[in-house]
Amino acid sequence: MTLSLTRRLVLPVLVIVTVALSMLVLFAGGSSGASEQAQVISSTVTAAQQHTTPPAAYQTTRANAGTANSTNTVYVNGKLVAYGNSDITYVNPPSSLIPLGEALYAQNCASCHGNSADGVPANGTPGAFPNLRGLGSATIDFWIESGRMPAKDTTQVQALRKQQVLSKPEALAIAAYVTSLSPATPYIPVVHNISSANTSEGFSLFALNCAACHTITGGGDALASNTYAPSLRHIPATQVAEAIRTGPGNMPRFTGNLSDAQVRDIVAYVTLNIQHPVNPGGFGLGGLGPVAEGFVGLALGVGILALIAFWIGDRS
Amino acid sequence: MTAEHGTPVSLSTASPDDPHMQPLARNPQRTERLIALAMFVGILGIVGFGVAYWYNANGWVYGVTLGGGITLLGFGITAWGKYLMPKGPFVEERHELRGTDEEREVFAAAVVQRGGGILGRRKLLAGMAGLGLAAFGVVAAFPLIRSLGPLPKKTLDETDWTKGSYLVDSTGRPVQVGDLAVGGIVTVFPKGYEDTENGQAVDQTVLIRLATTDYTTRPGRETWGPAGYVAYSKLCTHLGCPVGLYEQQLEKLVCPCHQSMFDVTNGAEPDFGPAPRPLPQLPIYVDGRGYLRAQGGYEEPVGPGFWERS
Repeated sequence: MTLSLTRRLVLPVLVIVTVALSMLVLFAGGSSGASEQAQVISSTVTAAQQHTTPPAAYQTTRANAGTANSTNTVYVNGKLVAYGNSDITYVNPPSSLIPLGEALYAQNCASCHGNSADGVPANGTPGAFPNLRGLGSATIDFWIESGRMPAKDTTQVQALRKQQVLSKPEALAIAAYVTSLSPATPYIPVVHNISSANTSEGFSLFALNCAACHTITGGGDALASNTYAPSLRHIPATQVAEAIRTGPGNMPRFTGNLSDAQVRDIVAYVTLNIQHPVNPGGFGLGGLGPVAEGFVGLALGVGILALIAFWIGDRS
Repeated sequence: MTAEHGTPVSLSTASPDDPHMQPLARNPQRTERLIALAMFVGILGIVGFGVAYWYNANGWVYGVTLGGGITLLGFGITAWGKYLMPKGPFVEERHELRGTDEEREVFAAAVVQRGGGILGRRKLLAGMAGLGLAAFGVVAAFPLIRSLGPLPKKTLDETDWTKGSYLVDSTGRPVQVGDLAVGGIVTVFPKGYEDTENGQAVDQTVLIRLATTDYTTRPGRETWGPAGYVAYSKLCTHLGCPVGLYEQQLEKLVCPCHQSMFDVTNGAEPDFGPAPRPLPQLPIYVDGRGYLRAQGGYEEPVGPGFWERS
């Protein structure tokens, strides 16, 4: 009798354990694992647009909004090397890195973006191989430090965020070199005193400007035409600020509509609150909300109740 | 399930040696010890909860001790009933449910004759109760009738945008021509309405910079896109969701609810999804001091269709 009971329990227990394990694998630790791997990132500007847009198109006239029009500016030998204020300082990599950057550029970038960094007409993939001149060192630094450049597969609509190919000093050197070809801002942002920023204000600004695409939990989501907004988990503060100021890929460029103080608040909210979510239940289930939670509740909760009822009862 | 065990017997007539009276467990002593062990651990858990509470432990300790303790106790009680009680199955016949004819007559007499007489004696109160119910019925219809009006009149066709309205962001800061870079987007409201319910509901507008020179999204709208700025209603023409997803390289606005895509270079014509109409475009201009302002209100109703508009 006991033996046959045990046998009858084997299948349902296996099913429940399998479901529970797959839940844990899928959802434990947020969306950092599986979804990040499946994602692909991008550059879909028409090549012509990149070629013809003058540098001024990427700038704002508003003070303290990421351009040289800031509270403090530092010039060395007549060249702007840093600017900013107590919220964010934008710093260009030292010009001593330019020779190294030139060599690294020739090795890693020139085959796609051209020997003079003014882009190569995209062949097949719309927006691939854009003009890099007039973009400012923040743009160059973001794409390299986030591991998206050098791109692994140039036929992808959106370049993949991956393990960095080039080290941080190498990224800075290339940024120094490319920026020296056609001086432009924004420089690489250094966000000050993140822990004392106004995260409440950061939340409001995030909800208004970022959550539409990245979702309110920062998990990222699909967009149109095979593009997607990437997850904001594990993104360093510098890259968050760089992305806001430069608008990589299909992300809008937030310049004059966000002051440096506001960008600092957003960076604080993303790096302090979003990247360290409080999950009282133990698992965030990817921050997907009631669908994922309801699914787990049904599968585990009702499943376990059904098993218990199965055990207590008796067939007649 | 053996045949002799599977046939139900009456508990009252079963003899002590009947197989139905035997426990399900093959070795009752061992089973009893196991169940006792489970219950003992359960008791330890419950006591542990008290200790944890005394020492103000972490939340998960409460959960493990109390939850585990109650679960093990419950397991023990259930297993006791299942494995050590007579295994059955037993049946007991119900008694006759129908009352005797005599009982039924007495009951009918009590309700119909005596009860009716007692009720009929208080005609005033019966009338009051009837009147009260009738009044309640009439009053209950009021909310239904109220919900049919008043007519919305022009409120569905108009927004707070008027000639000369400054475009301000959510903090009330007016947007200047140099603010946005190409590829930038900001949600704007008519100045003075950025904090109002109506402003946030129907006036919300997305301002996008597409170029550095005047941008024409449609023939006849040559003056609507000064310095490359174009402004569209943020309300999706499908069901009114905020169309806040802007893909700057594709130059498309995407609605998060049902994935309608609007081509901002072409008068926000929907080129994918369920949206039936383009987003209305707000005609704007740059004033002498460089501020962006509205040439006037929207020329068509914003948001989803309503009954006078297919």
